[in-house]
Amino acid sequence: MTFKTKVFAGAVALATTALVATASFADTVKVGFIGSLSSDTGLSTLRGAEIAIEELNAGGGVLGGKTIQLVSADTGEDPTEGIKAYEYLAESEEVDFIISGSIDDVSLGWLPRMVEYQIPTLDTWTSYVGIIDNLVNDYENYKPYFMNIASDEALATLYIDFGKDVLVDQMGWTSVVILQEDTAFGGAIHGLVAEALAPVAGIEVKETIVYDIATVDFAPLFSRAQASGADFIYLISSVNSQVVSSQYVKLQVPMGMTGVNVAALGQEYWEDTGGAGGGISTLSPVPSVGFELDPASQALVDTYQAKYDTRPKFPHFNGFNAYHGLKQAFAAAEEAGGFNNTSWVDAMLKQDLVLEKDGEMWLRYAFWQPGEVEERTQRTYPHNVRFDITAPYDDGSPSMVVVQWNEDGTAGVVYPDKFKTQDFGIPSWVKK
Amino acid sequence: MLQILIQGMLLSGLYALIAVGFTLIFSVGRVLNLAYGASLMVGGYTFFYTAQVLSMPKPVGVLLAILVGALFGFLKYRLLVKPLKGDHVAIEISTLILAVVIQAGIILVFGDASKILHSIVDGVWQFGTVSVTANNIAAAMGSWVLIIGLYLFIRKTHIGRAMQAVSMDQKGAAISGVEPDKVNAATWVISGALGAAAGVFFASYTQLSPSMWVAPLIIAVAIVIVGGIGSIIGTLIVAHIIGFMEIITTTLVAAELRGVFTMVLIIAVLVIRPRGLFGREEL
Repeated sequence: MTFKTKVFAGAVALATTALVATASFADTVKVGFIGSLSSDTGLSTLRGAEIAIEELNAGGGVLGGKTIQLVSADTGEDPTEGIKAYEYLAESEEVDFIISGSIDDVSLGWLPRMVEYQIPTLDTWTSYVGIIDNLVNDYENYKPYFMNIASDEALATLYIDFGKDVLVDQMGWTSVVILQEDTAFGGAIHGLVAEALAPVAGIEVKETIVYDIATVDFAPLFSRAQASGADFIYLISSVNSQVVSSQYVKLQVPMGMTGVNVAALGQEYWEDTGGAGGGISTLSPVPSVGFELDPASQALVDTYQAKYDTRPKFPHFNGFNAYHGLKQAFAAAEEAGGFNNTSWVDAMLKQDLVLEKDGEMWLRYAFWQPGEVEERTQRTYPHNVRFDITAPYDDGSPSMVVVQWNEDGTAGVVYPDKFKTQDFGIPSWVKK
Repeated sequence: MLQILIQGMLLSGLYALIAVGFTLIFSVGRVLNLAYGASLMVGGYTFFYTAQVLSMPKPVGVLLAILVGALFGFLKYRLLVKPLKGDHVAIEISTLILAVVIQAGIILVFGDASKILHSIVDGVWQFGTVSVTANNIAAAMGSWVLIIGLYLFIRKTHIGRAMQAVSMDQKGAAISGVEPDKVNAATWVISGALGAAAGVFFASYTQLSPSMWVAPLIIAVAIVIVGGIGSIIGTLIVAHIIGFMEIITTTLVAAELRGVFTMVLIIAVLVIRPRGLFGREEL
């Protein structure tokens, strides 16, 4: 072969490769995952999305037979890294749709980028109602954004009911000391507790103790909590929650403790606390640990557990959200002819998946429409998952349930009654 | 007040053990071992694996952790410190990088999530209105046993006196027949063992996580800067100052400011008394 022939053959091969690659890209729809690749939270969303994508691809593809390709961008649960991750997905990968397992602070970081790039984006973990308020105030710019977990205001509203029905009426607790981590999440939940739970449920806030998230020795804080004279501790912890939980148990703090404890949301909580996690209760979005599953959710769990043998061994609630949310996003894309802005948004708003258990609505994946007013709070939640915060919870999923870990390592739902699997209790070392 | 006294004593004992292994290296070898926090991590995870995963008896877990820590210290010296032949900057950078590599290895093997160690000793002790876990009391007492043991070792044994000699004047010690290389190796082994023991105690007090090497390293650096780099007595005293300051801040001022006053103290000492409050560089 002469040199000229070699060059020609090389050029032909290159051109062929380029054509194949181009054809391959044209036959692909890109989904971007944004979240932490090393946290249970991030991995739950990622894996839920992976299972949904495998099923869609196995079913013949989407949008006329195209294959979905998933690309990931790690946020490391850091807002700055989150911004870079979003930019990477938008600019380098040019994704069509983004599914997020970001925590609140990270979502708030990349949200302006979403407004800039206008890429349809679904958040599965972040519940910050301030993001929904952005849609209320500036719908045109924020409309590619959807959140398929109940916003924290809805979480708090139902939690107030738990406060009244269980903490006050059943337990007789009327005063609280709030133990709050020093984060945006902690501040937001504290506001809801101090301004809503306490006055509405008739609970006096004796003291608020704010601690740094690097705190590893909680003994002085529990001593302060005891000295406050409050009936119980309300914990707000999303970072390293297993530390405060295990020290509560190891120190046998003689007060009940409930609240928001993110570590207790996962099945690994018991292992992570070295078995020192009994008695801890937390509000949780659904499906939670101890939550009875409908057949469709159980099928997802079975697939998940057959596919993954590393933690999290059971998907967190956002894994379910990612699985159903991604399928809904593609169903909307099929109707809209792709992820082009307005028509996809309109189609996404029509999505409505009802999951039944024993003939009654158990979970629902639908969205609040722009301008639609939620009866109890008398406000709108555009593009937030359609939650129901009034018994008998037959218009949507409950915004939250309260789960409690027992001293034998089991966990169950203690509120609301429709989903309850056990009674709320106090640890054995706490006097009634 | 009782609460501050008890919790301050317990925390300070632990801090003293954490810092003393770090200052030992500087006293003898004149280098900052920035992988010292990794020794704590190695100790903590060894205990976790042996006592919690393999369900071996806890004393065996502690012993194995100390042995692995000693081996880790020896390997650091032979593979990193000795080949760099006294280039302090290179040693400090490479030990820091080593800590990051160890962290990545821990994540690979044990995952990213934090873990809580089973208590070394179970139970809760009540002092008036103050609850203290038996584990924390055991950790503080264990720390003091090791510190006193180290003191006696340095004062009473041949190798300990050789370490003193090298810390005062390496060349002079060599002329007197002391082999600085062996003394340095022994120092790194002892420091590794102390760090691993501190890691078990610290993790049982707090938590086990792949980033757990950072906080103890900061504590150790803070204590030895304020105490005087290389001064063991200064280290012990300042460990108590910082331990009590943290408890007082948390209890009486604001919990989120726990570490702030420590940092302010470091800056103040660096400005007013750069050699530290007890500035000595020999054992």
